[in-house]
Amino acid sequence: MSSPSPKPQQAQKSKAPQSSDTLYESRKKLYVRAVTGVFANWRWALVWITQILFYGLPWLSWNDRQAVLFHLAERKFYIFGTVFWPQDVFFLAILLIISAYALFFFTAIAGRLWCGYACPQTVYTEIFMWIEQKIEGDHIRRQKLDQAPMSANKLFRRSAKFLVWGLVALWTGFTFVAYFSPTSELLEAARTFSFGPWELFWILFYGAFTFLFAGVLREQVCKYMCPYARFQAVMFDPDTLVITYDEARGEPRGVRKKGVDPRSLGKGDCIDCGICVQVCPTGIDIRDGLQYECIGCAACIDACDQVMDKMNYPRGLIRYTTENALKKNWGNKEIVAHVFRPRTLIYGTVLAVVCLAFVWGLASRDPLRVDVIRDRASLAREVEGGQIENVYRLHVMNMAESTRTFTFEVSGLPGVKIAGGPPRIEVGPASTQSVTLQVLVPYDAGKPGSNEIEFLITAEDDPSLSLREETTFLLPR
Amino acid sequence: MLKLIQVLWPSFAVAALAEAVFFTVIDPQELYLFGQVVHYGALATYSIAFLGFWLVCAASSLSTLFLQRSAADINRRN
Ligand code: SF4
Ligand code: SF4
Repeated sequence: MSSPSPKPQQAQKSKAPQSSDTLYESRKKLYVRAVTGVFANWRWALVWITQILFYGLPWLSWNDRQAVLFHLAERKFYIFGTVFWPQDVFFLAILLIISAYALFFFTAIAGRLWCGYACPQTVYTEIFMWIEQKIEGDHIRRQKLDQAPMSANKLFRRSAKFLVWGLVALWTGFTFVAYFSPTSELLEAARTFSFGPWELFWILFYGAFTFLFAGVLREQVCKYMCPYARFQAVMFDPDTLVITYDEARGEPRGVRKKGVDPRSLGKGDCIDCGICVQVCPTGIDIRDGLQYECIGCAACIDACDQVMDKMNYPRGLIRYTTENALKKNWGNKEIVAHVFRPRTLIYGTVLAVVCLAFVWGLASRDPLRVDVIRDRASLAREVEGGQIENVYRLHVMNMAESTRTFTFEVSGLPGVKIAGGPPRIEVGPASTQSVTLQVLVPYDAGKPGSNEIEFLITAEDDPSLSLREETTFLLPR
Repeated sequence: MLKLIQVLWPSFAVAALAEAVFFTVIDPQELYLFGQVVHYGALATYSIAFLGFWLVCAASSLSTLFLQRSAADINRRN
């Protein structure tokens, strides 16, 4: 928008809404310069790893089923050999705690590692920028193309870019849905284009947002939408490794000829080339100090190191270092020694304990679960021979990876028995089977009202695997 | 644009959370809609519920935004 910006005094009066409004509207489009180097390689390695996992996992199978599937219709989460049921919500809670503590831990040690290297927003932006660069050229050409009037060339490049972005986004949407709805069914639907309406909706929804976030919004997502960016500073302390411009060494910055000793000119090592700003995906100048917009991607380190190499200056004018190290002139040894400090030790211990609890909980999960539900429609019914009948539905959940047969016994009242003799039912691997049992008790076996009885469910192939479930038996008054 | 994001984005995040908590506890097959057992497919139920949550949360964000206007903003309008 080219409306006149509010005058300073005016802006101050109604400060908050005004300033953020203008922030959004007058956002300058960034033309981020591509960068190579050690950290760029790390970022690309993580792009590959995370995306091979993300795009690949829905295609893997395990025991004749999709290896990783959050099967909404069955209300079961399959993760390789482990199946999570709604009853396992406890594990989900622990998993959340683990993620939170891992985030605290890594942030305390080295700042926004997650943001810079692994966050999907960073990863997809990286992929989309690479595509943009291949089709529209480097940052200078892209800016020229943006300013140029519409031409056949511009139209062609624009459409090509949007097309490729669109395809990647669609594929991402498809993959996302394949985590919730089996891939095989989706593929079949794709072949004949007969997706269910909601599957189609979510593919397009997720795809559209991938396109929007990675192609258009980019750094704005980190700056305005991400909650983590707002509070990550809480986990920083003076021993946290952050990407820092060494002001003492760099200033006073200035242009100079190669081969001249900067000190003889009264200058620092920064040649004020501005490349660190050009490569920054959030468009900030790291030389202004640590800012909340900095996602810790280390692109400016790679860029500046190349400049330093060209100038024959030592690398690391911008580098990972800590506030204390900079102040007290520490070397690497002291920095490493300060990685172990109360904060990281506490985060680390909690993380380790919770991880252990998770593994232990998984290992000691019951391989058999049973829900007993009284049939509410027919409470107590008198049947022939002076017996009283109560009806129960038993949901038998077999957590094991093999088919099992279970038998049922009942006890707790004299003469109690299951009508038609003790049943056997077969339950497939990691699935549920319901069985209806009619339990008979002689009329005078207990007091009127509710009486405690107990079902005993035993696996036929492994008698040690058994479960007692209590319930009540109603006798008429 | 800013207002739109301010309304839609936090409500989206909270709706996702609400959806997760709600459906871990409640099986969609146990739901009733106007006295009838919900008979949509699982994905449809989850999706409609999510959009519903989103709508409710967005309404809340919208009200916050509406009530947050300063006196100056309101006076200028009139
Ligand atoms: S890249 Fe290095 S030398 Fe160039 S402006 Fe940035 S800090 Fe200075
Ligand atoms: S300042 Fe450097 S590390 Fe921070 S976002 Fe910009 S390029 Fe990445």
